[in-house]
Amino acid sequence: MKDIIRVKSLISADVETLLNQQIKKEAQSSSAYLSMASWCDRNGFDNSAEYFFKQAEEERQHQLKFYRYVLDMGGTALSPEVTNVKIEYNSFREIFEEALDQEISVTQSIKNIAARCHKEQDYVTVEFLNWFFKEQREEEYKARRALELFDLIGEEGTGRWEIDKHVGKIHYGNEAGE
Amino acid sequence: MQNTTLEVSTHLAEVYSTVKGAVYQSDSEKCWYVDFAGKMAKFDYRNILKLKKAIYAIDIEEILLNSSKTADVEIVFICACEHCYVLTLLEIISFKELLEGTFVMLSLNQILHDRLYRIAA
Ligand SMILES: [Fe+2]
Ligand SMILES: [Fe+2]
Repeated sequence: MKDIIRVKSLISADVETLLNQQIKKEAQSSSAYLSMASWCDRNGFDNSAEYFFKQAEEERQHQLKFYRYVLDMGGTALSPEVTNVKIEYNSFREIFEEALDQEISVTQSIKNIAARCHKEQDYVTVEFLNWFFKEQREEEYKARRALELFDLIGEEGTGRWEIDKHVGKIHYGNEAGE
Repeated sequence: MQNTTLEVSTHLAEVYSTVKGAVYQSDSEKCWYVDFAGKMAKFDYRNILKLKKAIYAIDIEEILLNSSKTADVEIVFICACEHCYVLTLLEIISFKELLEGTFVMLSLNQILHDRLYRIAA
């Protein structure tokens, strides 16, 4: 009996499901960042708004990267529905806290996919995921640095204005320690 | 009904069967024949996955607990596929059992292919 399933698709049904969940997660991240950009813009934090617009765009690219991979491997990529997007935030700081939480949750979720891939020896997908691990290193670093500005500069007086000014300058070198 | 199955089974390999039905694979047509609920239906790769998804998605517990007077019948449509099933609760349970067994056998088949032909001894 031929192995039709393997002939049609490189990835297993379980990995495909996990990748589709990740597609949704990236879409949600993109929408959340867009919402953060909107809040920052409305409240006069122009640099932060710009920073989040960029992040939203990046998440969209991540979503498409997963999406194309699923299709390329013979799977069915599902265009996700994104609901319950937050509009209001309690404070400037809360936005950056949520941004970091979101990145941590994305890292954990991709680790979970990799764990599953290792279990079924799907090293092809593991190799694909490696790009994202490198990306998450940068994403978490930037989100953490942004949040640290609140402690370094302080929010009093022109503090928030100062923080906003520095958010645009956060940069991660290609190698750790740079 | 059993006899009609035998007729087409010359080029078919049985993947899995229960007392209620059976699934056969045709290597030449690269598809599966599902013998269930009084009919033999042909499914290609995409459609059998859709069938699996549709059947697995039915919340059996919810139907059992549902006390409303509506009939315990579920209609299973598969998008872009000519087949449709109208199933009672008991049929849903046995259909799910049949499909679960089928997919276990198909993964076993994949392991066999890996071991016998794909991975150097
Ligand atoms: Fe991302
Ligand atoms: Fe991100």
